[in-house]
Amino acid sequence: MRIALLIAAKDLRQRVRDRSALLIAVVAPLGLAFIFAGLLGNTTEFHAAYVVANLDGGQLAQVLRTDVIGGMAAAGAATVTDVPTEAEARAAVDDGTADTAFVIPAGFTADIEAGRRVTLTLVGARQAVLQTAAAEALGRQFGDGVVTAQLAVVTTAGLTGATLGADQVQALTAQAASMAAPVTLTDSAAPLRQLSLATYFAASMAIMFLFFSSSFGIVSLFEERRRGTLARVLAGPVHPGEVLIGKTLAGVGSGLLAMTVLVAATTLLIHADWGPPLGVAALAIGAILAAAGIATLVASFCRTAEAASAATSAVAITLAVLGGSFFPVSQAPDIMGTLALLTPHGWFMRGLGDLHGTDAAWTDALGPAAVLVAMGVVLGGIGLLRARKLVAIQ
Amino acid sequence: MTATPAPVVLDVQGLRKSYGQLEAVRGVSFQIRAGETYGLLGPNGAGKTTTISMICGLLARDAGHVTVDGRTIDTGAVAAKAAIGVVPQDLAIYPDLSARENIDFFGRLYGLHGAALRARAEECLALVGLSDRAKERTERYSGGMKRRLNIAIGLLHHPKLLLLDEPTVGVDPQSRNAILESVAALSHEGMAVLYTTHYMEEAERLCDRVGIIDGGEIRAEGTRRELVELVGQQDQVRLTASGDLEAAADAGRRLAGVTGAAVVDGRIEFVVEDAGAALPRLLEAVGRTGAAVRAVNLVEPDLETVFLHLTGRALRDAD
Repeated sequence: MRIALLIAAKDLRQRVRDRSALLIAVVAPLGLAFIFAGLLGNTTEFHAAYVVANLDGGQLAQVLRTDVIGGMAAAGAATVTDVPTEAEARAAVDDGTADTAFVIPAGFTADIEAGRRVTLTLVGARQAVLQTAAAEALGRQFGDGVVTAQLAVVTTAGLTGATLGADQVQALTAQAASMAAPVTLTDSAAPLRQLSLATYFAASMAIMFLFFSSSFGIVSLFEERRRGTLARVLAGPVHPGEVLIGKTLAGVGSGLLAMTVLVAATTLLIHADWGPPLGVAALAIGAILAAAGIATLVASFCRTAEAASAATSAVAITLAVLGGSFFPVSQAPDIMGTLALLTPHGWFMRGLGDLHGTDAAWTDALGPAAVLVAMGVVLGGIGLLRARKLVAIQ
Repeated sequence: MTATPAPVVLDVQGLRKSYGQLEAVRGVSFQIRAGETYGLLGPNGAGKTTTISMICGLLARDAGHVTVDGRTIDTGAVAAKAAIGVVPQDLAIYPDLSARENIDFFGRLYGLHGAALRARAEECLALVGLSDRAKERTERYSGGMKRRLNIAIGLLHHPKLLLLDEPTVGVDPQSRNAILESVAALSHEGMAVLYTTHYMEEAERLCDRVGIIDGGEIRAEGTRRELVELVGQQDQVRLTASGDLEAAADAGRRLAGVTGAAVVDGRIEFVVEDAGAALPRLLEAVGRTGAAVRAVNLVEPDLETVFLHLTGRALRDAD
């Protein structure tokens, strides 16, 4: 083990001095995480600017303006401005002061009460896709409420066989509106385990580039063989297995170094929230072992350092795509979610998500971390067995 | 009273290695004693590096036996390899580490550490003249400096046996001289040195005994005097000429009394039984090929002559 540690220490010293390695291990993932989080960062804090032209002023129009659209403003998700005419509402959208305009037509309340079809006009700015979509949702929410009330009135009239008076209709409408929905759908897990975009891309870039860092050890074996230093080392009192272990440790050490720097840097620079340190450490170690193991296995099929670098890079990119390093797999077809769990990336991101659940503890990461360690041990073990030929005496 | 001979450090017996149909080493045997420098002199491809690789356990042998300091060496003999220092033909140093860091790494590999490592590192760096630039990364070194560091690394752990595989290939004359002086100093420390080269001058200058190797076989072995005596009373005739020198050498080779002929550096070297009798016939035969002889020298036989005598070819001609 002394020899293996000696080789690993020497390799890490060389690694730290290699500027291109620093670029790949730290600068590139940090830069990409920064860019991705910056580009998509605006979507994390939704805010809409709405204008409302209430041309009706009746009771239901007021409910829509105050309770429904106003509810967004009360929640801090929108600012709502009233304008007297449709033209002014459209102008506000055109000149960019508003994302979306609501035009409540005259006769809105009366038409609804009479059971006639009404049209609520929305005018959305070209760039305000999300804000307009939210406005449409508000309109539908209001429409659903109206349908519920109308259904109550019609049902009562049908059951009693009598014509309802205006007071009765108003009372039934109010009662229907106040009733809680019999069935509500909630998703308690997904939102609570969601990573911020900064954290997501910091983590996904970190694990993608971890493959490049962790493959360094095994790839350098080819380089040493070409340079003749491997033969010189093996001419000494050194068992070939010690060289392999040393190279593996160098890859793990290199990955650990890169991951530590990246976690610290992304926390400080783009405010990534990685979660409880112990849990993150467990996941990081698992990911490093998995990356080093896969890199060893891939490199064991190669004959030169160039081929090994190219092959590990190709595998790293493929796994990154499958594992959701470039986009959240939750937004992709279901098959992607399944495929992601075949990759270290998928388990790493899943583990990080688990660390961000309500009442999450660092131990929640142990399951995914164990999967990552298992991947590393199994695949790395096969890789090392195959890589024996690289240090074999002919 | 006779002096007790120094103990045998390296004993090589019947070493064989084939690559497919090619027999690279064919039954090589020799011994080296403590304090002795033994040269393996032969052209490129003669089997020198293959022999060294088997001696240091880097290459599995097909047959034969190697012991170093009484311990059998094979590919699994990890501990026994500590008695061997290897200076490979190709540079085997880390360019992104300094000379000191290279030395520290290899020293620790051989179990040196602490004050002993520091002291030995200083000695070795001084021996090869690199003390002043020990902290520089070796990628900034000249070829000669890298060669000298290559040697220093092999010496670090005071090996009983030092294997130097063509250590001066590709270096400038000044660095070559420094390397040869360093190697000459080693035998005084009691180290057994195996020195492979295809430079006759190096073998003559450094080696107590020389094995002439060609085609994977040791063709002759002994001190310089013993080897030259193999040529017997034969003379070496050197013709400086122009024209088709190969044809001229062939013409001379067919003459009675001519035992070897080769073209070396624009000259034709002949080994003849009697220079006085052979010279007129040689000049006539060479002249018939159209070659124009500009100078004739009779030279004292040396290891080059021996190689020519044994193989019919010149050392560099055979490269």
